[in-house]
Amino acid sequence: MIKAKNDMSHLDGQTTQNSGLAVIGKILVSMRAFIALFLLLGYFAIVNDSFLTQSNLVILTKQVAINAILGIGMTFVILTGGIDLSVGSIVGLAGMVAGALINEGLILEIFGIVIYFNVWIVIAITLIVGMFIGLVNGVIITRFNVAPFIATLGILYVARGLALLSANGATFPNLVGSVELGNTGFPELGAGSLLGLPYSVWIMVVLTILAVFIARKTPFGRQVYAIGGNERAAQLSGVRVKRVTLLTYVISGFCSAMVGLIIASQLVAAHPATGETFELNAIAAVVLGGTSLAGGRGTVFGTIIGAFVIGVLRNGMVLEGLSSFLQIIITGVVIILAVVIDQLQVRLQQRQ
Amino acid sequence: MKHRFLFVACLLALLVTVVVPTMAQDDMDVPMGNGELIVIITPSHDNPFFQAEADVAQARAEELGYETLVLVHDDDPNLQDQHFDVAISQGAAAIILDNAGADASIAPIERAKEAGIPTFLIDREINATGIAASQLVSNNYSCAVAGAEYFVGLMGEEGQYVELLGKETDTNAGVRSQGYNDVIGDFPDLELVAVQTANWSQTEAFDVMETILQGNPGIKGVISGNDTMALGAVAALEAAGMNDVFVVGLDGSPDAVASIEQGGMDATVLQPLALFSAMAVDQASVYIQTGELPAEEKQSIDCLLVTPENTMNYSNFVLSE
Repeated sequence: MIKAKNDMSHLDGQTTQNSGLAVIGKILVSMRAFIALFLLLGYFAIVNDSFLTQSNLVILTKQVAINAILGIGMTFVILTGGIDLSVGSIVGLAGMVAGALINEGLILEIFGIVIYFNVWIVIAITLIVGMFIGLVNGVIITRFNVAPFIATLGILYVARGLALLSANGATFPNLVGSVELGNTGFPELGAGSLLGLPYSVWIMVVLTILAVFIARKTPFGRQVYAIGGNERAAQLSGVRVKRVTLLTYVISGFCSAMVGLIIASQLVAAHPATGETFELNAIAAVVLGGTSLAGGRGTVFGTIIGAFVIGVLRNGMVLEGLSSFLQIIITGVVIILAVVIDQLQVRLQQRQ
Repeated sequence: MKHRFLFVACLLALLVTVVVPTMAQDDMDVPMGNGELIVIITPSHDNPFFQAEADVAQARAEELGYETLVLVHDDDPNLQDQHFDVAISQGAAAIILDNAGADASIAPIERAKEAGIPTFLIDREINATGIAASQLVSNNYSCAVAGAEYFVGLMGEEGQYVELLGKETDTNAGVRSQGYNDVIGDFPDLELVAVQTANWSQTEAFDVMETILQGNPGIKGVISGNDTMALGAVAALEAAGMNDVFVVGLDGSPDAVASIEQGGMDATVLQPLALFSAMAVDQASVYIQTGELPAEEKQSIDCLLVTPENTMNYSNFVLSE
C-alpha cells in the first residue's frame, strides 16, 4: 500500500514537471474513439440535414447493434490475444438453423417424425448451436494447439459451407411460422420495439452491461486480461488458461448466433450468405475501441464506441450518397489511423 | 412584341418539359418531378451491368427533376435492409431496386410499402406478388433459351461441352441453367462433361476452367451463366492454347461484346437493362405525380442475341436495330 502511494506521488511529480500540453495530449489520445465519434457526428450533422433526425438516429443505432454485439464477443477473444474469424459464418449458419427449425422443423428420420418448436426454443437452440461452434473453435485452439487465426479460419469455411448446405444454397423464406404448429412470432425480434428502440438495440445494451460487468468484476474477466497480458505468468499464478480461453470463443459464438437471429428476423428470411466479412467489421470495431490485438489491454465499452464510429461513418456516407468504392477506402483509412494512434499511445505510456 | 416573345418562351418551355422526356421514352407521357427523392439500390458497381443499370436510372430520374440517392447492397440482404431503413427515414418517394435475394428482400419491400413508399424492381424478381409496385425483369429463362439455341448451332449439335453456373444462392443462376438444359437436352450428341459454379466471378471461372481442362482436354464449347464467367473461361482457354472452343455468355456487357469482336467469346444475350431502368423510373414518376401504379406488376422484357454479325450496333447495354 505504501509502495503504491509512493508510485502515485512519483507519477504526480513527473506530470507537474512535464508541460500541461503533454497531459492534454495524452488525454486526447486515450479518448480518441470518443473524439472521432463526436467529430463524425458533428461533421455529418452539419453537412446533412437529415442526419440528426430521430428516425435516422434510431436506424443508425439499429445498424450499430449488429456490429457491436459481434464486437463484444470478439473483445473477449482478442483480450486473450486470440482472434475469431468465424463470427460472420456463424451469423449465417445461425440464421439458417433458425430458418430450418421454423419452416421445416427438426426432422427425426429414425422415428419418422418432425418436431416443430416454439419460437423461444428455436432461439435457444440457435444460440446453443452458436456456442457449440465457439466451443469447437476453443477446443481446436486449446487442446490441439492450433493458432487461433488458423483454427477460426478453418471454422469460417466449415460454418459457411454448412449454412449453404443446409438448404442447398437456397434461402429459407417467410419465417412467420404457422398458428397450427404454434411457432409464430419470430419476426417480432427484428421488427418489434420497446420505448421507440428496436429490440436489437436493447439486446446490445443488455449484453454490453453484462459484458462490462464480467470483464471488470468477475474473476473470469480478470483472468482474460491476465492471459492476454502474459499467458505464462497467468498459468503460473493458477489461472486455468485453457478453460478461460475456450470460454471466450463460446461467448463469441453466442454473440454471433444472436446476430444471426436478429438479421434472419429482420429479413423474415434466412439467407446462407448472410454475414460475409462481418468478422472484419467486428475486429475493426474492437481495434477502433482501443483494444490491442496483442491482448491484455482494452475494454468492452471501447468496442461499443468503435462500433458507433464505424456505424456513424457508414450511415453518414450512405446519406451523402458517396460512391461505395470511396466508402470502402475511407473505412480502411479510419481503421489504420486508429491503430497508428493506438501505437502512439503505447509509446507515450512506455516513456513515462 | 413583348407578348409574342413571352408566348414563344412559354411554348419553348412547354416543349422542353413535355417533348424532351417523351422523346426519350417513346410514347409514354411521363410527368415531371418536383425534387422528390428516388432511392436507387443495386448490387455492387464492380460489375459494369449494375453500374450501367444504376447510372441509367439515376440519369433518367434527374432528367425528370428528382433528387436521387444511389446505394449499393453488395448482394448482402442485411445491407439492403439497412438501405431500406435509410430510404424510409429519408422520406423517399420511391425506391428503384435490383434486389439482393428473392426471399430475403420481401420483408424490407413490405416495410417500405407500409411506410407509403413503392418499390419498383428491376432485373431480378422476388418470390411474392402484390408487394412491389412493379417487377421489370428480362425473362431469364427465354434469354437462356436464346443463348442455348445459338450455342447448339455453333456446336453443330454434337461434342463435349462445359456449363458454368452462377452463384447458387441467386435464383437467376438456377433459371438460366434450366433454360440451357431444356434446349441442349434435346440433342443427345451434345455431352455435358462438367457443371461447376464460379459464383458469377471472372477469377473463379478462370480457375474452374483451368481445372476442368485438366480432365477434359477435348471440350468443344462452354456455356456460361453470365458474361464475367464466360470471360474468365475465355482467358483460361486462351492460356491453354484452345482458341477454337465456343464460348457463349449472358448479360451483354461491354466487355463481352468487345471480346466477341476480338474473336474471344462467340455470343452473348443482351438484357436490355437500360430500357428497364428507365421504364422503372418512369413508372415511379407516374406513381409519385398521379398515384397510379402500373397495370401489370410483372413486366417481362425480351432479350437480344449479340453475335459477331451485330456487335457494331451495340453500345453500353443498348443494341440499336
